[in-house]
Amino acid sequence: MNQPLLSRRPITRRRFLQTTGGTALAASLAACGGGNGSGGSGTKELSFVYMGTAEQQATWNKLFAKFTEQHPEIKLKAEGIPLSNWGDFFNKLSTRIAGGQVPDVIQIATEGQRLFASKGLLAPLDDYIKKDQSTIDEYYADMDPNLIEWDKKYASTDGKTYYLPGEFNTMCMWYSKDLFKKAGVPEPTPKWTWDDFRHACEQIKAKTGAFGYAADSAYFGAIMPWLLTNGTSSFSEDWSKPTFDDPKAIEAAEFNRKLVADKLSPPPGGTFDAFTAAAQGKLAMFGGGRWPIISIRNLKATTKMGIVPWPTKVEQGSPVGWNGYPILKASKKKDDAWTFIKFLISKEGSSTFAQLGGTIVPARKSIANSQSFLEDAPTGTQYLYQALSYATPIPSPDKGAAVQKAIEDGWKQVLTGNATPADALGKAQTALEGLV
Amino acid sequence: MPGYLFISPAVLLFLIFVALPLLAAFGLSLFHWDLLSTPEFAGLDNFKQLVQDSATIRAVFNTFVFALASVVTHVGIGMLLALGVHRTMTRGTKYFVRTAFFFPFLVSWAAVALLWKYVLDPTFGIAAYYLQSSTNWLASPTWALPTLIVVDWWHTIGYTFIILLAGLQTVPAQLHEAARVDGANAWWRFWSVTLPVMSPTIFFATVITFIGAFQIFDPMVIMTQGGPDGATRSIVQYTYEKGFQSFEVGYAAALSLVLFVVIMVVTGLQFRLSRRWVHQ
Repeated sequence: MNQPLLSRRPITRRRFLQTTGGTALAASLAACGGGNGSGGSGTKELSFVYMGTAEQQATWNKLFAKFTEQHPEIKLKAEGIPLSNWGDFFNKLSTRIAGGQVPDVIQIATEGQRLFASKGLLAPLDDYIKKDQSTIDEYYADMDPNLIEWDKKYASTDGKTYYLPGEFNTMCMWYSKDLFKKAGVPEPTPKWTWDDFRHACEQIKAKTGAFGYAADSAYFGAIMPWLLTNGTSSFSEDWSKPTFDDPKAIEAAEFNRKLVADKLSPPPGGTFDAFTAAAQGKLAMFGGGRWPIISIRNLKATTKMGIVPWPTKVEQGSPVGWNGYPILKASKKKDDAWTFIKFLISKEGSSTFAQLGGTIVPARKSIANSQSFLEDAPTGTQYLYQALSYATPIPSPDKGAAVQKAIEDGWKQVLTGNATPADALGKAQTALEGLV
Repeated sequence: MPGYLFISPAVLLFLIFVALPLLAAFGLSLFHWDLLSTPEFAGLDNFKQLVQDSATIRAVFNTFVFALASVVTHVGIGMLLALGVHRTMTRGTKYFVRTAFFFPFLVSWAAVALLWKYVLDPTFGIAAYYLQSSTNWLASPTWALPTLIVVDWWHTIGYTFIILLAGLQTVPAQLHEAARVDGANAWWRFWSVTLPVMSPTIFFATVITFIGAFQIFDPMVIMTQGGPDGATRSIVQYTYEKGFQSFEVGYAAALSLVLFVVIMVVTGLQFRLSRRWVHQ
């Protein structure tokens, strides 16, 4: 009689205790920085863990095939974890590492770089860099200097290099050219403002009935761009103090709430799929980095879409998050791991990935400005790279997932109209202060 | 001696997967641990934090509301359904209706939750269409928890229903006949024959439903993420958030112990009270 009950609610208290208990047992193995390197690093394969949905994994697999072709001596075992945000990805990863499964190389986005570096889980890369100085110099020369500087400033706490910065995402506005044309609204320009944006939404709604914009509560994709273009952010520059109840943040939330209240945006909390809606002509604009490209291509809508910088109120702004590729301290295949990382940042690796329509902008300027990245993509795709010049690294204190949830919950309360912007963000601010 | 050998698989499984983790949870609750660095001894800090944490109190409250509503709706309406099916249906319809009621229970929570998210979508969901209402069910602080109670009812009623139906079938026909001869009407036959004979089944259904409901996790995580503003956060979900999102594993262990104690106390209470009404 117990069995149906267990299957009824898959995570029962008992299962939960098993998990916590299991990790406790493994604690002695792995808690001290995974010193004895059990799990993945003990096997013959080079293990690499990254975040990717099933749709994206097909793209990654082609890249891995290329690596195996060049380095048949290294057996690469790559594993994509299909999660939708970095916070959840790092939770999963931390749990695994605590359980003794330590990979050799991990894809770590800005959201988790400081966390992993500060816990002593990673091997410094400085010696490897010195050994391959010319390769690295060539790589850095082909990159926006901001990215190198941010990587130093935010991804390390002790001055050592733990990550090579890789591909990144910034935020721009994707729009449906068809809907703008149908409504007789001129297409947005790189210098457009919040007022222009709101006006376009109103016109499109009035003339075509389509939604103007899909307001959302994703931290990177739908909250930060509005804060930054209003001259504020979620945290102070060194990520030590939350500033989420700043009057400018409240103003940005209010602006988004009005879009929902005036039905220029679908109500939040539903199952609205912005990419599909835009391809079908039911939505004029959504925020995005490079990642919508896979869906937009599958929907055969690349020529119907355009990309422009985010509309501004005070100044140009965009969050930026980039991938770093560290070698784990516990890895027993550090040299192979370095070979793999060098492949990922090489011109060839980078261009294959860009061409295959990866979900991210290549770090190399030469690739980002080449046909392999720009063709079969909406006009204005180059703005994603240009945004690096004015972008702000996404503030990511240690308890990233909890921080993100507090921010998103507060914003959602505003969008639904359950609470006034000042109350909701004030409450979130209190929660954030408790977390850092 | 061979006797011990025979029970050893069960005992070992219990020790490894239940007793040991439980002990580990006791141990962990006395530490500060973020999964990645060395645990630090914290004494009773986690428990002190627990009684002051308004989010914990809110989560316990939400879970109690959910569990009580769950017990009442499952056992109450489940009983009505079972009676209806048992009394009035032909064999064929009975099979069909029984399968239909039980079916949602076989679908995993993840699928059920996503399905209902579509049904309840404020823009194009069929709930908005048929009810002609613009209520954003899952985003409203008033409606989110009742909505989840309804969804949970839809999903799990089949289980309670089947247990109660099986119970109904154990009521001996001769008792009903005797009552009928004595001139009892349908209501009295239900009240004085069916209900007492079925009381052990009802008791079992109540206990099982309460324990299951108190551990509710999936629909909250998938449909509302505990929102809006913590209105639907359950105690297990909060434990998960603390353990695997805030990396306060010690605190999460303390929370899971609270859950353990609450379930034990309530179940103990139910057994105690059952002496008054359950037919032995």
